[in-house]
Amino acid sequence: MGLVKRKAIQPAEAAKPKQEQSCMGLAACLEDADPRTRRHAARDMLHSPHAVGVLASRLNREPDTAVREVILTTLVRLNDPSAAGRMADCLRSEDAALRNEVIEAIGLLACDVSDVLRSLLADPDPDIRIFAVNILDSRRQPDVESWLIEVIERDAHLNVCATAVDVLCEAGSEAAVDPLLRLKDRFRSEAFIQFAANRALKRIRGA
Amino acid sequence: MRASPPPSEPVPAITGEDFLKFKEFFYRKTGINFESAKRYFVDKRLVERIEATRTGDFRGYFTLLRFQDSGEELQQLTNLMTVNETYFLREEYQFRCLVDSILPEIVQRRTGSHPIRIWCIPSSSGEEPYSVAMYLMEMWSGISDWDVEIISSDIDTSILRRARAARYSIRSVQHVPALWLEKYFKGVANEYQLCDDLRQAVEFTRVNLSEPADTFRYRNFDVIFCRNLLIYFDDVSRKTAAETFYEALNPGGYICLGHSESMSRISPLFKVCKFPEAIVYRKGLEAR
Amino acid sequence: MKRILVIDDAATVRMYHSGILESAGYATEEAWNGIEALEKALLEPFDLYLVDVNMPKLNGYGFLRELRQQEIPQAPAIIVSTEAADHDELQAFRAGANGYLIKPVSPLQLLTHVRLMLGEAQQ
Repeated sequence: MGLVKRKAIQPAEAAKPKQEQSCMGLAACLEDADPRTRRHAARDMLHSPHAVGVLASRLNREPDTAVREVILTTLVRLNDPSAAGRMADCLRSEDAALRNEVIEAIGLLACDVSDVLRSLLADPDPDIRIFAVNILDSRRQPDVESWLIEVIERDAHLNVCATAVDVLCEAGSEAAVDPLLRLKDRFRSEAFIQFAANRALKRIRGA
Repeated sequence: MRASPPPSEPVPAITGEDFLKFKEFFYRKTGINFESAKRYFVDKRLVERIEATRTGDFRGYFTLLRFQDSGEELQQLTNLMTVNETYFLREEYQFRCLVDSILPEIVQRRTGSHPIRIWCIPSSSGEEPYSVAMYLMEMWSGISDWDVEIISSDIDTSILRRARAARYSIRSVQHVPALWLEKYFKGVANEYQLCDDLRQAVEFTRVNLSEPADTFRYRNFDVIFCRNLLIYFDDVSRKTAAETFYEALNPGGYICLGHSESMSRISPLFKVCKFPEAIVYRKGLEAR
Repeated sequence: MKRILVIDDAATVRMYHSGILESAGYATEEAWNGIEALEKALLEPFDLYLVDVNMPKLNGYGFLRELRQQEIPQAPAIIVSTEAADHDELQAFRAGANGYLIKPVSPLQLLTHVRLMLGEAQQ
């Protein structure tokens, strides 16, 4: 008994990544009853360039958080613009966990997601438009501010504008000052918008 | 005529609003909350980075911080804002948690007598895994009933060499109780050499946590110590690391982060667990 | 003094709600998402939880489900959401909420609900 040291990592125990397996084999594994098998399949699809469709279609049906996380990591790493639209479909899910996982993941994609964002920001459902603003918040692209300004100038819904204003506290510059003042004017009787816009103006003006 | 010295650059000023803007951003990204008492500490480091990045002023610097593609500057700044010193028994309350709470839970759920496996990553120069070994020997009654394997990994092979050599400065051992120092170390010149028994108790391996080819073999661990590493990772690497740890842990296995780190900024995969000594995280008991 | 945990990933919303509650004499703390909220609640349980739904890593429903499983003193929770559909309210109560408010919440609405949940006489 006590502290022991042996050859710590036993190759025989582990499941070697099935890089050699075809995408067809992995796709079947992605439907396996065992979540560990599904996780490994999702992980190993990193080396299958045509896997985006398979992974994206599993996403909406996958009940296990850990499997979903790996699916999303793989999709992010594959960095295929076509994935963004498929992932965005999940924003309509009743499952709050899935919605928020997807918001984060689309935010992490290095490729250009402008088309998807544009479409989401024009969605008739204000909650979808709020999620689009949340995605913008996670993006590192330099034009985030101009997108947010467009939201507060154009969007009719108070909560969508409020979400954009919160992001402008961090991402806003002088260019956002006039649009914020106009927003305050538009929602003159809404205490939360007044509060939020004043906070953003303070942060931007630095005094 | 004597040449006059070049005019020195004005030191960028950090206003109260700048501080608030930075504080909110940093809290969002890391979970670390700087109170106004820390103004001097924070301002000094912001000024240092503004100058190093040549962004001219806080506004320019913050834009870099917020929008830089690689996220490198945020990592650099986080490094500056957090204390990185390594020494024996650092954050000792977690080792107390290990022997008083975590191991008793693990042992209680055990079926079979296979070894308890602990992974310490990063190993850095070895203080942490050796601290675990020492603590188990000295403070855990179960050490006489159970085999324990300690594996410790790092991406840097030269630091692994130092870890295996196990020779330490007086600064590194300053928190080691005198009795343990005498029992497990030998004074050599003005340094301390760890005894062979403990040196041999830890298996050091080279691992790149972001590389699945490296990490897939790491399985069946009961406890992972990953302290003060993930906070310096970019978002995707952090997510990947969390998934690797999930894979590496047994159901009901525990993971300990650094004292200023939280799973709230890292991953939803682990359950928050409050023990008297510490908050740690656990893989689901029913998980595979 | 009653302690309320304000949970929302938007700093503006947290500040707005905290401000209203503090003016009314409550002590408040904030959390950015459900995981941070759980960590704070486990360290020292609160008298009431004000919970946003959509947050990264652990959302409001997930937080409530976890909270209700913990062996700590339980307290009322009010979900604050942008969604107004009936099934969302049902989901909230199923997760363990005691109240449900739609954003934007007016100070009067918020305080009325909080006082009700805390069993305090209405001012």
